[in-house]
Amino acid sequence: MRHAQLAWYIAGPALGLCVVACRALFNARLGVTGGFSELIGKLGRGSFSFDWRGWFAIGLFLAGTIFALIAGTQTFDGYGWLTETFTGSERALIAPVLLAAGVAIGYGAKLSGGCTSGNGLSGVSVLSPAALAATATFFATAIVVSFVTKAVI
Amino acid sequence: MWGRALGLVIGLVFGAILCWSGMISPVVIREALLFEDSYLFLFFTSAVATAALGQLVVRRVMRSALLTDGPVAWSFERPKRRHIVGSAIFGLGWGVANACPGPIAAQVGQGIWWAVFTLTGVIVGVRLFLRRSELGETEPPSERAVTATPRTAAAAGR
Repeated sequence: MRHAQLAWYIAGPALGLCVVACRALFNARLGVTGGFSELIGKLGRGSFSFDWRGWFAIGLFLAGTIFALIAGTQTFDGYGWLTETFTGSERALIAPVLLAAGVAIGYGAKLSGGCTSGNGLSGVSVLSPAALAATATFFATAIVVSFVTKAVI
Repeated sequence: MWGRALGLVIGLVFGAILCWSGMISPVVIREALLFEDSYLFLFFTSAVATAALGQLVVRRVMRSALLTDGPVAWSFERPKRRHIVGSAIFGLGWGVANACPGPIAAQVGQGIWWAVFTLTGVIVGVRLFLRRSELGETEPPSERAVTATPRTAAAAGR
């Protein structure tokens, strides 16, 4: 990381308060994939009249821009293990791998009704059985994928 | 109007926390998933605990949400096949890219150009799902069975 890391005991509760805010304002679940879905669905029909979920997602993009401007730097270089592992001529592999991973992330999150925020954070915080099952599954899968790729590649 | 503005503000705060906590860095996520660093788990657990307590307070104290009518409540959905299958597919992508939708948005906002590939993939994936939903192909088998029941009952009644 190229800047200081906020202590977890501040960052975690602050993130949780965003979920509480969505409940208090909209009586709704906070979910990033829901926001993406709103933007993609509306834009596909040529509409720009996004609901609060769409504007929430727009806020995430803007937050990145504002944060980088204030911090005076991007948070990191490269793109994790992919740019560390695939160097030189192998770099060409990274783009298709990220595209395929992205498709899995988008499709999988929609199919299971949420991503790390919708199922993991919001769903688990109200002890939704479906969200608990989903969260256990994606954490377990990602952990297995990480250990397998570390061992094999 | 208020809803959209406040949605934007929550997005700005949420995104800033993802940046400042390092959660948008694939290296940080990778280290967590390999159990080399405990930050993500402490961060995530404290976020869930705060959200849980906060929502219980909101449900008890507020008669209705500020911008919607009706009591503050949430439903409990039982786990179905799609939750497990979808999350396994999601976990596969997350384990490879080490970024999930929120961080991907903030990465693109920061101008990290590798993230453009990840975001493009996510858009393709969401569109693929939305198109299949319109065709009714992703309707879970259990729900299909439920909708089929009245028809069978009606046929039997005749």
